[in-house]
Amino acid sequence: MVSTSVKRSKPFIVDEYIARLESGSALLDDSPQNLVEVVGILKSYGVVLDAYSVNLCYIANTQHLKLFPFFKYFNGEVNPKKIAQFIWHDRINYEYAEYCMKAMFWHGGGGVDAYVDTPEFSAATDKLIRAYFKYNPLMLLLHKAFPDFLPEQMRQMTYYSALGQFWRVMSDIFINLSDSYDRGEIKSIPDVVQFILDGLVADAARPITYKVKLGNKEYDIIPKSVGITFLMDTGVPYVEAIFFRGTPFRGTVSYNAQAYEIPYDLGMFNYGALYADPLPIGGAGIPPTLLMQDMRHFLPDYLIQLYRQNVRGEGDIRIQICESFQKSMFCVTTAAVKGLAPHPLDTQDESQQLANRKYLKGWLNRILESQLLKVNSETET
Amino acid sequence: MTDFLLENFWVIPLYSLIGAVITLPWSLGIIRQTGPRPAAYINILMTVVGFVHGSIIFNLIWTRPAEQFVYHWLQVADLDLTLSFELSPVSFGALELVTGISLLVQLYALGYMEKDWSLARFFALMGFFEATLAGLALSDSLLLSYCLLEALTLSTYLLVGFWYAQPLVVTAARDAFLTKRVGDIALLMAIVALSSYGEGLNFSELETWVTGHQLDPTVAALLGLALIAGPISSCAQFPLNLWLDEAMEGPNPAGIMRNSIVVSAGAYVLIKLEPVTTLSPISADALIIVGVITAIGTSLMAIAQIDIKRALSHSTSAYLGLVFIAVGLRQVDIAFLLLFCHAIAKALLFMSAGSVILVTNNQNISEMGGLWSRMPATAMSFVVGAAGLIGVAPLGMFWTYQRWFSGSWDVDWWLLLLVMFVNTFSAINLTRLFRVIFLGEPQVKTRRAPESPWLMAVPMVSLMVVTLITTLAPIQWPLWLSPNIPLPLDQSELINQYATPLLIVSGALGCAIASTMSVRKAWARSSNFTVRFFQDLLAYDFYIEKLYEVTVIAAVSSLSKFTSWIDRYVVDGAVNLVSLATIFSSSALKYNVSGQSQFYLATILIGVGLLLWSMLNGQWSVVTNYWSSIM
Amino acid sequence: MLSALILIPFLGAAIIGLLPLEGKHTRNIALVSAISVIAINIFLSFQFDFQHSGLNFAEDVPWIEWIGLNYHLGIDGLSFPLVLLNSLLTLIAIISTSSTIQRPRLYFAMLLLLSGGAAGAFLAQDLLLFFLFYELEIVPLYFLIAIWGGARRGYAAMKFLLYTALSGILVLASFLGLVWLTGESTFDYQTLREYTLPLGSQLLLLAPLLIGIFIKIPIFPFHTWLPDAHVEASTPISVLLAGVLLKLGTYALLRFGVGLFLEGWVYLAPWLAILASISALYGASCAIAQTDMKKVVAYSSIAHMAYILLAATATTRLSMTAAVFQMVSHGLISAFLFLLVGMVYQKTGSRDVNYLRGLLNPERGLPVTGGFMILGVMASSGLPGMVGFISEFLVFRGSFPIFPIPTLLCLVGTGLTAVYFLLVINKVFFGRLTVGLPKIPPVQWKEHAPAFVLLMLIVAFGIKPDWVIHWSEVQAIALLTGS
Repeated sequence: MVSTSVKRSKPFIVDEYIARLESGSALLDDSPQNLVEVVGILKSYGVVLDAYSVNLCYIANTQHLKLFPFFKYFNGEVNPKKIAQFIWHDRINYEYAEYCMKAMFWHGGGGVDAYVDTPEFSAATDKLIRAYFKYNPLMLLLHKAFPDFLPEQMRQMTYYSALGQFWRVMSDIFINLSDSYDRGEIKSIPDVVQFILDGLVADAARPITYKVKLGNKEYDIIPKSVGITFLMDTGVPYVEAIFFRGTPFRGTVSYNAQAYEIPYDLGMFNYGALYADPLPIGGAGIPPTLLMQDMRHFLPDYLIQLYRQNVRGEGDIRIQICESFQKSMFCVTTAAVKGLAPHPLDTQDESQQLANRKYLKGWLNRILESQLLKVNSETET
Repeated sequence: MTDFLLENFWVIPLYSLIGAVITLPWSLGIIRQTGPRPAAYINILMTVVGFVHGSIIFNLIWTRPAEQFVYHWLQVADLDLTLSFELSPVSFGALELVTGISLLVQLYALGYMEKDWSLARFFALMGFFEATLAGLALSDSLLLSYCLLEALTLSTYLLVGFWYAQPLVVTAARDAFLTKRVGDIALLMAIVALSSYGEGLNFSELETWVTGHQLDPTVAALLGLALIAGPISSCAQFPLNLWLDEAMEGPNPAGIMRNSIVVSAGAYVLIKLEPVTTLSPISADALIIVGVITAIGTSLMAIAQIDIKRALSHSTSAYLGLVFIAVGLRQVDIAFLLLFCHAIAKALLFMSAGSVILVTNNQNISEMGGLWSRMPATAMSFVVGAAGLIGVAPLGMFWTYQRWFSGSWDVDWWLLLLVMFVNTFSAINLTRLFRVIFLGEPQVKTRRAPESPWLMAVPMVSLMVVTLITTLAPIQWPLWLSPNIPLPLDQSELINQYATPLLIVSGALGCAIASTMSVRKAWARSSNFTVRFFQDLLAYDFYIEKLYEVTVIAAVSSLSKFTSWIDRYVVDGAVNLVSLATIFSSSALKYNVSGQSQFYLATILIGVGLLLWSMLNGQWSVVTNYWSSIM
Repeated sequence: MLSALILIPFLGAAIIGLLPLEGKHTRNIALVSAISVIAINIFLSFQFDFQHSGLNFAEDVPWIEWIGLNYHLGIDGLSFPLVLLNSLLTLIAIISTSSTIQRPRLYFAMLLLLSGGAAGAFLAQDLLLFFLFYELEIVPLYFLIAIWGGARRGYAAMKFLLYTALSGILVLASFLGLVWLTGESTFDYQTLREYTLPLGSQLLLLAPLLIGIFIKIPIFPFHTWLPDAHVEASTPISVLLAGVLLKLGTYALLRFGVGLFLEGWVYLAPWLAILASISALYGASCAIAQTDMKKVVAYSSIAHMAYILLAATATTRLSMTAAVFQMVSHGLISAFLFLLVGMVYQKTGSRDVNYLRGLLNPERGLPVTGGFMILGVMASSGLPGMVGFISEFLVFRGSFPIFPIPTLLCLVGTGLTAVYFLLVINKVFFGRLTVGLPKIPPVQWKEHAPAFVLLMLIVAFGIKPDWVIHWSEVQAIALLTGS
């Protein structure tokens, strides 16, 4: 096969994309089809995130130290009909939410990660654990023998809660975006980016807290006073852990230690949502399939129509969803990059421009390794 | 009710097979709107049914002598192929082990694989896997066992190939199938031969045939060697051991089954075949030699592995090597005990390893550390599993060794030395693993490690309890199976007196060495060239794979290229020439190229018509003249 | 009754060929005639007495008396499984023919002619009549390859024609010689079986017959037409070629080679057994090096057909039965594999093992085809539970006591089957989907129906082999008892 496009050097492309961002465009090419895909998929994503968020918070608040949380996905509503639905697997795949939570917990970073290692956190959780297992000497004994076991569970619960709260905000942004689009206020990809950016900025300082109620007593695991905030302590680590790093999929990457396919340095991980190849979606060992499966139930009609025009129709809908999803995630990334920039991107001040460019170059060097160029080149043709 | 269950004992393997078939709507993608978990629940339910059914029968027949049930499968010409099943405490003990571990593994898999959308396919394969293993446990016919071993080969291929899009899985699945297939074909050769010589292919018939016949020694030796080839490949013995290493690319729950039950299934067939395989001293010696080489070689390989699953899987080969030796010495009871204790302890170790892998997203032990206090179930499982495997703590393997060397069996010093060697290296390996995984400071990948969810913790804890309980098995085992009767215990020899303390010392020595040796951390390598050389030599399995590449694989591929070339240029050309086709077809091609194929077709049609006409008229001479004119 | 099995397809072909019908109707007519042939076959199978050695439903009418040609049809345990196979695979070939095929009238007419010709050859109890049908079936097959084939169809069709025409001449020469040497005035099979010629004459007649038959089966070194023909033929034709037409060769081998020249056959058997094992290993070895999926299946056909020769050389009661069973088994399995390879080719436009990747992809690949393919490959490499295992086991078990070394060599060939097929499966279906592969259109469930039917049969006969074996057991053994 002879490639028809001339391969351009990477620094050149970086400059090109810096110029794009400075001129107010997004990472993703602006086209009517992209707009439909992005808004439609974010609508569905918003619905799914809402469910995820509710469940994560439910688990964090009520199932935290349960050894056998049989009904952790039931959100407290246990009845025969719901049980039957769950047995038939006619439900949201909350496993994916937990997967994201675990990835975020594992990669760490941000204020939550730092806080769960502090003595204050230990003291708070220890109090909770002793109260919770007051009448269970066996567990108290285990707690003594394995002193980090239950605290580690509580650290994880903290992440359940933090991610739940983060997704609460994101879900609302995406649903509002869709409503706004339906009203005809969103006309292009940059509009989408701006909308998301506004949403992020509006909630940037929103505090993230975690309180557990036991009997009549409340245990403040993350008090408001610690100052953990939405954007910097959950948003940024989330983007880093889920969009960029991720965890290697068993279905495509070998865990064999002697094959050395997975780097030692977590910073070199590139298995995140922006990098993942959509083609294996639906196959074995590809966790995001769960998300795509969840989203297929909430797609707006216009998007389903679009998907049906494809050769496979609804047969490969999960891959199509994933492709759209990846596009939408580039928009969210654009918003995040813009929001975190040291200065407004359209600044005319030269020193500010210089600082911005340095900042953008850092991001773009990573982003351009992702599927972005492929996605954009496909829309061109 | 119990009679009914007893009469229909043969359905037990079918339960899980039915479960596997029921998963088809999900695994074929017919049901797409909802998820695949019902398939998993159905399979677990089927396994429970099988387990309960088996338990009831096990209880009933516990004191009864073995019974055979023969099913006439196919009678054709002078051949009568029968499939027979055995109803005995041993076969049902094996069945209970299969269904029991399978049940725990499937529960475990529900947790381990929770974010894999191909869950239905996985459980279908597990059901198929379990069905073949359960069938093997009950089978009393070499033919049936062969069929099931083949089915096992297929299900191993499919399970290893479960993550089919991952490049290393592709080669691993292929190699697993082909390696096992090599052994299976040899076994099939032996079966064809045995069936031609003997009276029947049931194990009991084989036994009477062997005792009643005087076989030519060469034939007996060849037969014995071909028969052990099957178990060599399925038990991952040298030189067909590498597939097990590669098979670790597959999902861990399947790996648990593979390292505990599947390898044991091959050895189980070997044990059943013992009367035939040890008929010739050559094949009996071959068993012992293979066992010794594997036990030593894989013990060494295991301690150099940095992959948690591979470090454990090489040790599997080592223990199966001991089983081979026991069978070669015709000490079948010991072989059974070794298998049993190893299967349970190894399953537990693999469960623990899977939990570590899932939590840390990592299999490289040099990147681990400090998990002890955060993962109690996982850590305890590892400790108990290791204790069950090393002959130092008073658990299963210790009592097995103790019985082996207590004076009941004819043992020799070399055997004791070998067992001590395996024990020491096993102790080194497991202690080393324990240190780097659970002790020390957490590294970046083990910094955040909450204990696995209950679906994985419950099977681990249950199996831990089972491991502790089954310590009784070697102590209580009645010793009734071996063809040579245990020796009378009148006067214990020197070896019997010193064996137990020596074994304890060997295990303790291993633990001590591993506690003091330096361990590799975070991809770091020793700067000493000799150390690196031996590390690599062992880590890459003595480069056996490379050896295969330059020998067998190279031979087959160059032979195929050669024949293909011959076919293309020599045979095709020559035959074309001889059969006049060259003259004809070259002109035919010319016609075709010039686009006159229509004309040409007409010519041929007329030609064939003329041919027929001339023949009908008996004008043979016309035909011969026609052809000779072309000539 | 038996004539209907031949006449219905011929009639169907005539209607399609002569009446100016639309494409859709021609297909329906073809379907109707194929289905009615199957119906008659099923009816016959209830009447068939498989304990009886000899002909059932015989029809014997003198035709051209002065050359001794009789229209003598009959069916026995040897031919009935093959007649059934023929009718089934004909239906499957018609169903799996693309609905947008070019020149449907000619195509379906040829297809029916082919099927009727093959049926006639299996039913003929007269040597000359057999030969007529044997030749007759060549012509439609030639056109089917030459018109609807692939890029090099002209070459392949011509090669096929020349080889098989030569095969026919040799077979005819042998038949004529037999009649001449016996001094008979008839070509009737039963009559000629009564004679036992001296060994020398038998060998003299057997030699051309065998070469003729070896071309048809095909056996190394006369096989080179087959890979070319398969590669160029369209899927339904490959199905018929592998499933039915090659069986004409092995059928003739048993019917005439063993049936008429038993002493000569036994005399040559040790050499033929060696030839069979060479052919099996050679086919397998060539298959490993192929990069075209269809060629792999074609060479595997050569390897598996050699087992029939092996079984026939052993001339034990078991091996003769096994030979017939192996024909059915190979017919089903190779037809199944060709259907699946055809499906891959139809959807992806490629059969290149080095190009196709990851077709198991559940969303954009061909996962169900892949699943079938794995099963088909396993059946072919002798996985127990499917028909390939038990048929091959019986072949090996039947011939091992007589020719142990060739049998073991053929067993090695079975081992190699797994090698070459697994290499194909692993490359084509595992891994990530080919980069740049155009979107593969979805496979409808009904497109898999023919393959599914074959799979069911492969499994059913694998579990209950006596369903096939009992048809042919008595008759296959009777071949050995001489006249």
